[in-house]
Formats: sequence, structure tokens, C-alpha cells
Amino acid sequence: MSSLPPSQWQRLQTSRDDVSQHSERTRTASVDTGIDMGDKEEVMDPITAVFRQRYSQYERTIQSLFRTDRPCCAAPELDLSTLELTDDYSSGQVNGTGNSAPDIARPPARQLDDEDYDFDDDEDDEYNEPKSKGAPPQPTKASSLHSQSSEPSLGNITEAKKSATATREKLEADRKAAEEAAKSALSTMFFTLENDRDAMLEQQKLEESDRQVNAEANAAQANAPGKLSSANLGASSLTLKHLIARIDAKREKVKVSDMELRNLMSEVRKNRSKWANEDKVGQEELYEAAEKVVLELRALTEHSTAFLNRVNKREAPDYFTIIKHPMDLGTVMKKLKGHQYKSKKEFIEDLNLIWANCLAYNADPTHYLRKHAKAMQKATQNLIPLIPDIVIRDRAEVEAEEAGAMEVDAEGESDDATEPLMSSRGRKAPGTKKARKGARTEEGTPEVKPPTVNLLRADSLPPGEGSQGNLGQNGFLTPLGGTPVPNSISGTSMSQMEIDHDKVDDDTNDVEYQAWKTMTKKARAKVASDRHKLLRGNRLNPEEPALLRSRAGMGRYLKNEEYHLKRIQENDDSGKEGLSRNGNERLVDPAEGEDEGPLLPDYYNPLSCVPELPWRLVWHGDGDDIDLQDENIRLAPKGIFTQPKSELSKRMDANIRQMQDTRKLCSKIAVIKQMQVQTQMYSNQFTRYDPKEFIEVDAEDFVVTEAGPIMCSTVSRAALQRSVGKIFFHAGFEEFQPTAIDAVTDIAAGYMQNLAKTLGVYAEAPQHERKFTPEEMLLHALYENGADVEALETYIRDDVERLGSRLNVIHERMKFHLTELLRPALTDTGGDGSRMFNDGSEMFVGGDFAEDIGDDFFGFKELGLDKEFGLSSLSVPLHLLQGRMRSTFQNPNASAVVSADGYKSPPPFEPLTPEILKKQVGLVQNFFLAKLHANNEEALIEDEHLQGKQKPTKPRLPPTGKISMPRKRPSNSHGGNSKKKKKPNPPPPPTKTAPTKEIPPALERTLSKISEGGDEGNGGMMSPESLVGGGA
Amino acid sequence: MSGSNDKDKFKYRVEIQQMMFVSGETGEPNAETTGIIEEIVRGQVIEMVRLPPFFANLIRLTISQLLQCTTQAARRGSRSISTDDLIFLIRHDKAKVSRLRTYLSWKDVRKTAKEQDPGGGAGAPDPADLLDDAAAGIAGSAGGPMQMKQRKAKIGLPWEVASYFSEQVPEREEDEDEDEVEANYATLQRLKNADERTRGMTRDEYVHWSECRQASFTFRKGKRFREWAGFGTVTEAKPNDDIVDILGFLTFEIVQTLTEEALKVKEAEDQVLMQSREKSRKRKREKFLFHAEEGRTAVEARHVEEAFRRLQTPRPKMKAMRNFSGGVVKSRLTLV
Repeated sequence: MSSLPPSQWQRLQTSRDDVSQHSERTRTASVDTGIDMGDKEEVMDPITAVFRQRYSQYERTIQSLFRTDRPCCAAPELDLSTLELTDDYSSGQVNGTGNSAPDIARPPARQLDDEDYDFDDDEDDEYNEPKSKGAPPQPTKASSLHSQSSEPSLGNITEAKKSATATREKLEADRKAAEEAAKSALSTMFFTLENDRDAMLEQQKLEESDRQVNAEANAAQANAPGKLSSANLGASSLTLKHLIARIDAKREKVKVSDMELRNLMSEVRKNRSKWANEDKVGQEELYEAAEKVVLELRALTEHSTAFLNRVNKREAPDYFTIIKHPMDLGTVMKKLKGHQYKSKKEFIEDLNLIWANCLAYNADPTHYLRKHAKAMQKATQNLIPLIPDIVIRDRAEVEAEEAGAMEVDAEGESDDATEPLMSSRGRKAPGTKKARKGARTEEGTPEVKPPTVNLLRADSLPPGEGSQGNLGQNGFLTPLGGTPVPNSISGTSMSQMEIDHDKVDDDTNDVEYQAWKTMTKKARAKVASDRHKLLRGNRLNPEEPALLRSRAGMGRYLKNEEYHLKRIQENDDSGKEGLSRNGNERLVDPAEGEDEGPLLPDYYNPLSCVPELPWRLVWHGDGDDIDLQDENIRLAPKGIFTQPKSELSKRMDANIRQMQDTRKLCSKIAVIKQMQVQTQMYSNQFTRYDPKEFIEVDAEDFVVTEAGPIMCSTVSRAALQRSVGKIFFHAGFEEFQPTAIDAVTDIAAGYMQNLAKTLGVYAEAPQHERKFTPEEMLLHALYENGADVEALETYIRDDVERLGSRLNVIHERMKFHLTELLRPALTDTGGDGSRMFNDGSEMFVGGDFAEDIGDDFFGFKELGLDKEFGLSSLSVPLHLLQGRMRSTFQNPNASAVVSADGYKSPPPFEPLTPEILKKQVGLVQNFFLAKLHANNEEALIEDEHLQGKQKPTKPRLPPTGKISMPRKRPSNSHGGNSKKKKKPNPPPPPTKTAPTKEIPPALERTLSKISEGGDEGNGGMMSPESLVGGGA
Repeated sequence: MSGSNDKDKFKYRVEIQQMMFVSGETGEPNAETTGIIEEIVRGQVIEMVRLPPFFANLIRLTISQLLQCTTQAARRGSRSISTDDLIFLIRHDKAKVSRLRTYLSWKDVRKTAKEQDPGGGAGAPDPADLLDDAAAGIAGSAGGPMQMKQRKAKIGLPWEVASYFSEQVPEREEDEDEDEVEANYATLQRLKNADERTRGMTRDEYVHWSECRQASFTFRKGKRFREWAGFGTVTEAKPNDDIVDILGFLTFEIVQTLTEEALKVKEAEDQVLMQSREKSRKRKREKFLFHAEEGRTAVEARHVEEAFRRLQTPRPKMKAMRNFSGGVVKSRLTLV
């Protein structure tokens, strides 16, 4: 439809819900005007045409201000060159006879912009229509309160009341309508920020005047601060009597001012306004309305600024000579708060006095203040109907009157009588008829002025400078310096003129804009001041807190995004899943409930000026992706703090791995060696050596903004320490003390720094002194720090490469050694193993039970020995393996000893068989017979030749020398069947130990222990076994 | 210079002369030169003996602790010197270490051989010869190579790869380290140098030379050496035989290095002199046919001093850590 794509519009109005509706509306409007303009075109002179052309061209550049990457809203490339080319309007003027040029240059949508931006246009009617359409008046709600209050009033005033309520309703409706219109206008208009500064300043002044009024009011009571009860607290004084009395008693300690206290009070009693007073009939209504009016007037900051405060004598030295009764809005407010008005009339008189004063003092018709005064006057006239025509009277008086009236009118009685009882508010609007009677006398005169607190304000407006009027009130004109104004014009005509003048130069003709301006004034002022705060001088203020989107703002933003997303998905067939919906809803919903500054366009918010995120991100990422393409913030590249991959590091890592493997072998060897020497093993005796591979952990993800080296001393140090630790390990240290690694890390860091500094000295030498190539610099730096390429090479060759080969050799040897050690255990089926089976030991019967249980016996698998055996399932109990080991380890030793002695060992005793036994002494025959019997008539073997576990362990005396508990006799199935003595010297003990015969076995044992520990001189011949055997 | 005091003071004049001769000095060095050399050597020896308790011991302690060789560590902490300590001091000179290890292992062989065959001790080669011969792999003198090799135990050092692991691996004969190969190369180089020096010698001269090769500070004069080096005052422990032998070996090396360096100095000096003389020679008479070479002058004391200075120049390695930090670099006596 246009060169300015609709999306641009949507950008401006995105905070609105009814986007389509408005765009529709604007479209129709533009079509209309397009036709209009088309009609006018023929009369257009060439210059206008050229201007229009230029205008449209520049208009197009606005797009470039709102650059976006979104595909749906992407602005067409702005071709400035073409802009320049068509810009010379001499050419446009030459051939621009009005026909062709405007037609081409002005696409139909331009008219739309014309109206939207051109506020001086007097084509209001287009707006008026939709305004009235969009804003149906809602009179009932707005005026409900007023109608309610007016109901009980007397009959004869109801008409007047009704008219008043009617006007009020009308005003309310007007305002509502204007608001609606402004809201709709928001979507079609582009508001400039120019007025915001004024709005802000005005708002500041307003606030200041508020402060001043309060301060003065407080100062009025500063002399006698006490007596809250004396202050007019209205009806509250009755119910809150005690509280008030209490507060009064402690008044000095309460820090708040009277006014604040009063506000607090009224807040506590919600249903009563602060103006309510039991004793003053009608005060509440009048004052509430009056206060509203004053606030309203003050809020017209565009015009009211000059009238907020009293005129300062310094600013206009002659002011008080001209104006006898100065008045201003601040004073009015003060008087209100001081309850100085008794009727509507007094109040309105004061208001009008303000404007009249101004007009009188600033007689010059062109004076800018007159404009404001007029505007204010007009506003006042509009607002006056809002005030109920009430005269305040004393309750006693009213009651007395009513008592009189009751007699006359029975009807009214019931109402009046019940009312004070029914509602504690008891406010009752008295008629206007018996108006101002004692009211004025009751309270102080309005002339009483509280001591002025002059808040010095540099920017307070002087009411016209250099003017010296004689009589303001009468409308005599005073000649203002140098202004060629005719002296003798009467005041009325003058004011008439002024009105005309005002009308001409005020841009308020655009009703919509005006409405918007007034409505958003406060918000705009706030925004402007907020914005102002962000800047200091001409720069951003770094001290300011960060801008955060409010919940509502975020919701709006997301909605906006979603809107674009939708559009893109429409455009893009392959549009993927967008933002998760429910996530948006959550934010949007409360946002709509809040809806705080709806009248302000998006661009008013500084946050809206934040550059938008790259659009593609939204639907490419899965939500927690971080955009890496961002120019400013990006993730730091990985691997900065890890060892770079190089040949050297690869080799070192390989060496380290090799060392770990070899150490594993070592631990196995240690286990086996331990098996050879130890009689009994425990499964938990060996700690498993299972080294983990060294993995260098990189630093966690972090974000950097600038290119360049990343410097973080702590992380770097940690990385260096890790490298040092690796080198330590590589140099053969399995463990090291933390202090050691700290020290070495420090030294290494110092050395590296020195190296870098040296290099820096060479590299940063002045140009003329620089005589080395970079390579030479490096070599020099190395040399200065006691290293050179050769040394480095030697290190790599000797300490890394050669070390690797050596480690390999050692690993191989270790492996060989291990298999050598394990060989006896592996030759399973050989003679040794079968002999063991021949023993008939029950241990072997259930040989495979370990597998059945699925148990890793003694942690063999854990130790990795199972693989060494080449067994898929390890069913050899540890003690068995150990037995093999031990026997093979000890036998060669024994033989070696024998050969060293040079004596042959005596032939081993024959195993005791029944045959041999027969030849023995009769005494022992029975005993051994029993033993043999227990052993299934097979040969008995010596204790020494029994395998590890079967051998009964010898009792030992603990180091304490005390025998703590009797030793448990080994179970019969085990050791009992092999008890036998056949020593070189046939056992003499029987005689010795004969007396101990009766002693139970347990005690026997202990005794034997004692004897063993006691007489060592026996040459070890005395074994406990022998004792037992003898005893049997 | 050669007063009675000096005679008392310098006890190794002859030995040093012999050593210098072996190292290439042809002339007769005067007493002053040998005195200086002797002083230097003595200083070095004292430094070497003094260092272990204060310096090497510490390092060793840490090493053994870290390696968890608890049994060794338990024995450590004493102020005695072990062979490892001495070797540690020269650990950077790979060739020297290798030669030393070979020497020690052969010495071990010799000892066991003596023990097994008390009469055969005479047949064992001199230690000095052992040094070179064995390393060169000649080793054929006593008992045949097979027999020798069987007994030859390798001297393990605590900072070697084998000690990385808690288990010791039985030695295998066939493996020869690249290190040794390298060291052998260095030794061969020495032998070659010696060969060249002796090339032009007559038989008698060679006999003399080979006699000189056996010069030693320690061989058969252990007591003198101990007194000379101040054992008992410098260290409390009584150094064992091995230590003395090693020191004997090292002292020989020191003298040799000093002499070689001094010869270089002298050569450079001579060259300068020659050049200046050639310039002035034009005025002098012509060389005649049998002009007697001005016999080679001996190395003088100043040459030795200069050589020592050169050997003591602090290398950048020593002071690298002091760069950029200012202060005085304290130099210690560098072991030659």
C-alpha cells in the first residue's frame, strides 16, 4: 500500500491491542484524504509540489531510524544518494509544472502521514468522527456520587442541582471521550518529545508549589504546634477523641506535620474525607469539589505554571503597587486547607481574581502570560459547575433551623431526623437559600495570611518584565516598553483581541493532540524527568541504576515480539516453533491488569530504545542458547586455560599413562609378594590402585566483551599449577605436598614473567635501537634466562622421549615379572595342585562355589588379577592361590639354606600309616589310631606340610604380656585330623605336662602359652602342639 | 715461592704434574701453577664434601620422602655422604655420571672378585684403567666378558626411572641405555684425544704417559687425601672407600678440565703474542734452517687463574630468577 510499510506502523503502535482495527481506520482515513488531495492537486503550484516531494522523501528516512533486522519489518535500503539527487528543487521547479512530479513522488500513504504529523492542519473533522465513535459517553458511573449527594437536598434546589450534575456529567463524559480519542490517536500519531521538557519543568514547579503550600501551612501552625484537637479534624474528633487527645499530649514527639497527621486521620477513617467536620454542615462537599477544581487547574501545567505561586517582589518590583489583592493557586490551596472559604462564591472569586490580576498586570496584548491566563480562565469556567453551590454553616444553626422546619414540613422531618443517626458521615448539603449568614463571621477572614515561607526558586516566573501598569483591575492599559500598542483601547476590546490572538498562535486546534497532551502530561513529565536523570551533562550518568523493564513492560515487549513472530511465521513457510507461548502469557496477563501508562507510546520508554536483539535468534535457538554472533558480548573461546594440543603434550600424556599402568602392575606385584610371605590374607588388606586418567578441565563458560588476551591471575595460576603438577607426575612423583607445588608454581610463574619481560625489553626497544629480528629476540630472551633451544631440545629428547621408551621397557619388564610371579599359581593341573587335591581337604570339594554365588572373592577382580590368570570366572579362593605362591616361594629358600650349610637334610619322616603305627610304642598307638581313624585310614602328614589355612596357628602372647581371653580351639573338621607329632627327638613332654591332664582344653591352651612365653630357654622345642599332643 | 711451608702445604705436586701431562700439557709446570691448581681442586673437593649435608641431603630427603622409600628415608638425615649425593652434584654432566657409574660397577666387580679369589686381586686392572677401558667396552682383561657381565651390577640412582615405581624390577642384561651409548661416545672421544696426544710419542714416552695416567689424589694415599681435604673438620662422617674413590675420579677430572682450559687460554695468548711478534719480526733476523723452536713454555699460574675464572663465570642459568628483581647475585663456587 505504501512505501512506508504497514509494519512500520505496527512498530509504533505495538503496545496497543487493537492494532488491526486502527490500521484499518487509518487506512480508510488516508484513502479519503488521498482523494481530497488528489482533487486539490490541480491547483497546487509547483513549489508546493516540490516541497511535498521532498517531504515524502525525508519522511521515508524515518524508517532508517527504526532499523530492524526482522524479516517481516525489514526496511528497504535507504538510498541517500537518490535522496540527494532528487533534492535539488531547482530541477523540480523547472519541470515541476504540477502534473507529473507530485504524482510520482507522493504515494497515497503520504497523506496519511501528512495528517498525522502535521498538527497545524485544520482538518479536524476526520478525527472528530472516530473519536465520538470510539468513546461512548458513560455518564452514569461518573456522576453517581454527585447524584447521591444531591438527592437528599431540598426540593427547590434539585433543579439547580440537576443542572449542575448534568454539566458535571457532560464534563466527565467529555473528558472520557477525549481520553479515548487520545488513546486512539496514540496509534495514529507520532508524538514528538519536544513538549516533554516543558511538561517536566511545569511538573517540577507544581510539586514545588505543593511543597511550599504545605510548608506555609505548617509554618502557620508552627507557633502553636500542639492541639490537634483544635485543628479541625472534622467528625473524627468524636470517634477518635482519645487517640487525638493522646497525640496532642505527645505532640512534640511526633515528627509529622499537622497536615500530614490530618491526612493520616482521614485515611484511618476511610469513608470520611479530610474535609469532613461534624460541626460544619456542607463543608465536606464544598471543599472536596473545590479542592478538585484547584488540583485540576494546577494540573494544567501548560498554562498554570505562572499562577502556582505568589508573585515575588523581586521578580516584579512594581507588582504590588498595581495589584492590590494578589492571589495565586497556592494561596487558594492554602486557604482551602485553612478552611477559610465559606461558600462557593468566595472560592470562585479568588480564582477569578488570579486571572484578572494577571490580565491586569500584563496589559500588553501580546504578552505570553495573557494567553495562559485566558486558557486558565476558560478552564475555570468549565470547572465551576462542578462545585456544588453550598454555604457552610454551623451544625447547631442548621439543626435549629431544621427543627423549625420540621414543624412546618413533616415529610422532610423523617429524612433529616434519621440521617445523622444512620450514617455517621452526617453530611448534609444545606440549601443555597439561607446562604452566607454567620459563616463568614465564624472563621477568620481570608485576608489573614500565614507567615510566608519563601522557598527560593530560581526558575519562578516573573509576571512580565518592565511593565508598569497603573490600574490593572479597570483594564487601563499600561504601555509596555517599546511595544507599539495603542494606549486607549478599552479592556474588553483588548481581551477580545487577545482571545483572537491566542486562538491564532495556539496550536491547540488539534483537539486530539491537545487532549493527549493534557492527559499524558504527568506521565510525560515523569518520563522526561526520568530520562533527564539518566544523563549528566551530555553523557550517560554511570551512577544511575540500571534500567529494568517492569513486569508490564516486559509483557508488552514479549507481546510485541510475539506479534512479529506471528508475522514471520506467516511469511515464512518453514517457520519453526517460536517462543514458548505459555511463557509469554504468564507475563502478559498481569501486565494487562496493570496497564499503567497506556497513553504513552512505546518510544517514550527509554527501554524501548534498547537495540533489539538479532531477530533470527528467537526462532533458531532453543531458548537457552547464547548468541555468539553478538558483537559485544560473547562466550570466551574454549581451551584458553588448557594445555594446547601439541606433540610434546601428547607424548607427556602418553608417558603419564604409561606410568600409571606400570604402577598398576606394581600394585599387583606387591600383592603377590605379600602373599608369599604372609600366612593369612584378608580381602580388605589391599587397597586397590586404580588411577584415573588426567583430564584437564577447562574454565567454566564465561563471557567476554573485547577481543584480546583474557587475563585472570587466579585462573591462570590454577592452570599453571595444574601443569606443574603434571610435570611433577611426569618426573615420577606420585604425590606431592601442596606447599611444594605452590612453591614451584610461584617459581615457574616468576620465571615465565621474567622471560616475557625480557622479550618485552627487546621488543619495545626504540625503533632506532632495534637491531634484532623477532627470532633473535626470542633467542636472546631465552639466553638471558638461562635457557636455549638446545637445552629445550635436550629436555624433550632426554626427559620426554627417552623417558617414554624407558618407561615402555620398564613396563614390559614389570609385566614379565608379574607373570613370573604368578606362574606357580597358573600351573594348576601340575603335580602341586593335584597333590593338594589328594589331601582330601574339604576346601576343594566345593571348588567352584564362588562362581555360583557370583561373588568376587577377596576382591580379586577388583585387583585385576583375574585377568592375569586368564580365567573368565575366578573360582580360586585367595588362600589357595596364596598357598601355591607361598610354597613355591619358600621351598627354594629352604633348599638353598640346606645347601649353604653343607649338610644334607635328614630324610623326611615317613607319613604315619597304620602299618608304621604298629611298630610304635604301645602307649601312643591308641591315640594315633584314633587320629588315623579320623583321617580315613590315610597317612597323616606333618603340621609343617599342611597348607596355610589348615595349619592351626600358633598361639602368641600379646605384647601386653597378659592373656586376655582363652583361645578358641580350632574346629575339628579342620585341624583336628592332622594333629600329630613326629619330631626328630621323640616327644618327651608327656611326663612334664602330665599334671595338667584334667584341665579343660581351653585352659590347657592358655597354660601352654604361658609356658611358651615363660621359658624361652627351651630352644623353641616346646610348641603348644606338642603340649596338647602329650596331654592327650 | 717454594719454601718449606709450601712443600708442606702442597702435597700433590707430582700427581698434578702428571695429570696435566696427561691432559696435554707438555712443559714442566712450575710449583706455583701446581700449587694454584691444588688449591682450586681442594676448594672444589671441600665444596663437594660440604654440600651434601647441607644441600644435597635436603634434596635427597625430599626425593626419598616423596617416593615413599621409607626405609631409605629413615636412613637419611644423617650427615654422612653417599655416592648418590656426589653423583647428584654432577648429575647434569651425563657423560661423567655414566663413566662414574661404570667405574663404580666395575669396582664392585673387582671387589667381589677379590673376595672370591683373594689371590686374584692382583690381576684386576687398575681403577684408572678401568675407568676408560670398561666404558669403552673393551673390558676383556680379567675373567672373560661373560663372567664379568654376570656380576656387574648396575648402580641405580634415586632419580632414575626405575625408582619411579615401588617395585624393583630384576635387571636384564641385554638392555643398554641410550644414555650409556651417549656416554660411551663421550668416552670414546676422550680416548681419541688421548690417542692423538700419544701419537707422536716414542715408546718410552708412552710408558711414561701411561704411568702418568694412573696418577691419582687418592689411590693408595687415602689417608693423605683425607687429611688434605680436611675430612673430619668439614664433615663429621668418615667417608667410605667409595666416596674417596669417586672424589679421586672427580679430582682428576677437575685437574684435567682446568689444564685444558688453561691451555686454551695460553694458546690464545700465544697467538696474540705471535702476531705482535710477527709484526716486529721484520726488524729481527731471519729464521734459519734449524732454528730452535723456543721450547713450549709451560702453563703458568695466570693461565690457570684465567681458566678458573672462565669456568666460574656465572652462567645466565644461575641468575635467571634474579632478573628484573635487582639485588646482588651471590655466586657460589661452581663445581668444575
